[in-house]
Amino acid sequence: MNDFFRFFDKTTAVVLLLICLVGILLIASASSTSPTSHHLRQAVFLLVALGAGFAAMKFKTETAFRLALPAYLLLMAMLVIQIFAGRVVAGTRSWLRLGFISIQVSEFVKIPLALMVARYLARTRDIGGREFLRLGAMVGLPVVLIGLQPDMGVAFILSSLLLGALILKRVRLYVVVALLLSITAGSVLVWHTVLKPYQKSRVISFLNPGKFSQSSGYQIIQSRIAVGSGGLAGKGYMRGSQSQLEFLPTRHTDFIVSVLGEEFGFVGVSLLLFLYFLLFARQMRFRSTGDAQFYFVYLFTGLILFQFLVNVLMAIGYFPVLGVPLPFVSYGGSSLLSFMIGEGLIFRMRMNPFVNEY
Amino acid sequence: MYIDRRQLSVRDMDRSARIATAGLILLFSALLFVFWNIQVIHHGHYGDLAQQNIYRRIPTRAPRGLIRDRHGRVLAGNRLDFGLFLVRENSRDLDASIQFAAEVLGISAERIKRRVEAYRSYPGAFPIPIRRNLGLHQVVTVRSRSDTLPEFEVSVEPRRDYPLGNTAAHVMGYVSEITEAELKERTQQGYAQGDAVGKRGVEKQYEPALRGTKGTRLVIRDNLGVIRQLVEEKEPVPGDNVRLTLDLPLQLFVESEFKDYTGAVAVADLATGGILAMVSNPDFDPDTFTGILDPQTWESLVKDPRRPLQDRFIRGRYSPGSVFKLVMALAGLEEGLITARTVVNCTGAVRIYDRDFHCWRSWGHGRVSLYDALKDSCNVYFYLLGRRMDIDVIAGYAGALGLGEKTGIDLPGEATGIMPTRFWKRRQLDRPWYPGETISVSIGGGWVTVTPAQVLQMVSTVALRGRCPRLHLLDRIERGEEALYRFAPSFRKLPISAEHFEMVVEGMFRVVNEEGTGRAARVPGLDICGKTGTQQVISKENPRYNELVKQKRFRPHAWFVSFAPRANPRYAMVVLVEHGGDAGEIAAPLAARIYRRIFANE
Repeated sequence: MNDFFRFFDKTTAVVLLLICLVGILLIASASSTSPTSHHLRQAVFLLVALGAGFAAMKFKTETAFRLALPAYLLLMAMLVIQIFAGRVVAGTRSWLRLGFISIQVSEFVKIPLALMVARYLARTRDIGGREFLRLGAMVGLPVVLIGLQPDMGVAFILSSLLLGALILKRVRLYVVVALLLSITAGSVLVWHTVLKPYQKSRVISFLNPGKFSQSSGYQIIQSRIAVGSGGLAGKGYMRGSQSQLEFLPTRHTDFIVSVLGEEFGFVGVSLLLFLYFLLFARQMRFRSTGDAQFYFVYLFTGLILFQFLVNVLMAIGYFPVLGVPLPFVSYGGSSLLSFMIGEGLIFRMRMNPFVNEY
Repeated sequence: MYIDRRQLSVRDMDRSARIATAGLILLFSALLFVFWNIQVIHHGHYGDLAQQNIYRRIPTRAPRGLIRDRHGRVLAGNRLDFGLFLVRENSRDLDASIQFAAEVLGISAERIKRRVEAYRSYPGAFPIPIRRNLGLHQVVTVRSRSDTLPEFEVSVEPRRDYPLGNTAAHVMGYVSEITEAELKERTQQGYAQGDAVGKRGVEKQYEPALRGTKGTRLVIRDNLGVIRQLVEEKEPVPGDNVRLTLDLPLQLFVESEFKDYTGAVAVADLATGGILAMVSNPDFDPDTFTGILDPQTWESLVKDPRRPLQDRFIRGRYSPGSVFKLVMALAGLEEGLITARTVVNCTGAVRIYDRDFHCWRSWGHGRVSLYDALKDSCNVYFYLLGRRMDIDVIAGYAGALGLGEKTGIDLPGEATGIMPTRFWKRRQLDRPWYPGETISVSIGGGWVTVTPAQVLQMVSTVALRGRCPRLHLLDRIERGEEALYRFAPSFRKLPISAEHFEMVVEGMFRVVNEEGTGRAARVPGLDICGKTGTQQVISKENPRYNELVKQKRFRPHAWFVSFAPRANPRYAMVVLVEHGGDAGEIAAPLAARIYRRIFANE
């Protein structure tokens, strides 16, 4: 137990906790006009998530890697069931009802998937065609299933694991060329077949928000106005006109950064960015041992970083509106819980001795 | 158990950690720069946009000024009105909103769409009036759904109200929504689409005084347009009140006497030239126009063959008929062509320029002097006088007496009428003037057309022995009880000798009081002077005259002009009954009843 506290990274833990508390603070402001006390619920979620995180930390890393495949298969099965039997909530079937709580199954896929990709990367030398296809299948299955729900945000974030794998491993040139070609062809194909008109209009509105001030571009414009009007010091807590008069859409989830930017200004944004920077920088200061743990830490941190970037850039109109929550900050139990479990695994791995056999 | 702390210190970081850290520093610097750019450099721009989001300046309608009669009785006031407004920027689906409004209001979606179209140049936050004068159940229907339909607003605004209905409709005119063309001319004056503006009558004439000044409310609204806070309010300033010379009890009396006729009646106060009563039949209900007029109603009013929207007093153009003999008598006397002793033998017709000109009494009047000629309305006397006169001279006198010229009465849209001259005929018809036409003009026929207003002005001038009053409806403009402006009566002195006027007045006196054509207008003790005019609408020479004249539309128009009393006259009156038949039987007795009423109430 003494060892545990000696090696447990207390600084990163405090940073993480601070980020979560900032989230609850902002959710309180964002939902001040709503009848539901989202911030109190988020506090409960946080307690549950912290418990789960500590439990995950106590888990033997070896066991975690071993359980990855069964967990992955179980989640895939649940996703398939959901597609056919799920209840449609807010246009998607991504919610699983368990008594009085609802769980967003797709949010949890990232943990076993990252574990599996990490272990696979540890066992291969560099990525050729065969390796790429395997990785592609591993990541592609949940991406397609989740995309069918449809929950484009989660699907998009998951596919970043593939990108991470390509960055971390040496990749044969022909794979890169083939990939670029297939992405080009695929996006044209997706644009004309899969994407629904509202999704297309989101992309268009991202490219030209002024033209759509009444519909899809509305969110981007209002969010940017909120951030920009916050100025250096912000309008004050609970005093942002964009948030309090409800011009900001989904402000307790996807656009929580805009609430921060409006009410706490550039100073507030900088502070939160600094906390995130500390979190990412500390977690990536990891000896590149080339084992599965190394790949998991980088992959999972990279995924958090990617989701963080997508969300923040979306809030200021530099990325299409995808419905991606800000990790640890946005309201939502499933997202917080899955990230905390992942963090628990990372904290554990960073304390583990050098082992290469997972 | 936890042996190797794998956390690296900065010093001994290996390659991937160094690359990752460097990448993170770059990335976060870029993010900070982006936020700095938006939040600090472009703060002003986004700050303005945020203000525009929440602040709305809402104009509030001013109540129009009251229109009152000379005693202060309200002819046009204001009442509260529920209006339905559509705010486009709050609508998720404009077509669905329009459909909803169409269902609630029971009008076609097409019409609402056209209305909304008309406001395309206005900002999305501008409340577009869809309909005014909502019923209570419509108000409740819209209000009860304000959660799901934030684009609809129900407002309570003052609206023009005419408590007496059709009374003095042509004097009032009406108020209606400003058209796009009118708006273009008047944007400088602060009008906006959807505003009510005076379109006819006093409402139009005194629009600048009556309209008042709009107020504004500066409010903070949320994203659904729900008003959260009233920041600042500027109350609208009601319009100034217009006090007319109209005498409401007399107006009502004249209207009730005249209700079965088509035509116009007006009574002038000779002390000022103010109009005491003015009726034009048929009339309309000015309230029809006040809200948002539906096209069918408008069409039915415009296309009505009875032309209820035409103010016959100032816009109806008629041949003056024998009324014109007053002008001829004055001209002949003033030119020295006739005197009181000039006598003509009327045999029922006279041959001039190889053509027979008939007197209305086919067996003739025998020997007639000027007084007899006026009293019995003998045509031959005036034919022979006309033969000795030039048309341009006649036109000169007629023009001086106001015929064929606008009277300048304070009502918009007055007609000019025609008093022909050689020049006029050359210009209009490119024909020379034929002497025979002068003969027709000398009994008020031919090309001559005049409005009842001109005729009233003419008879007033005769009554005042050459002082031509400026006819008017305005008494004063008031703000509260304080008069901002008073109409100053003005009279134009004609260079015609008073002695000659006196002789014409003598003739007019005989018309009524000595068994003349206007004897039915006689009221003992009132010394009414008058002149009849029965203007044929088809020629008496028409072989089927006696048969056709039984149909109303071929019956002659009946004029009766008059004033009273003979000495120091105080009232002048014109009566015109379209297709009324014989003037002495229709128009004259009507005038008598009105005079009786006027003098009885003194």
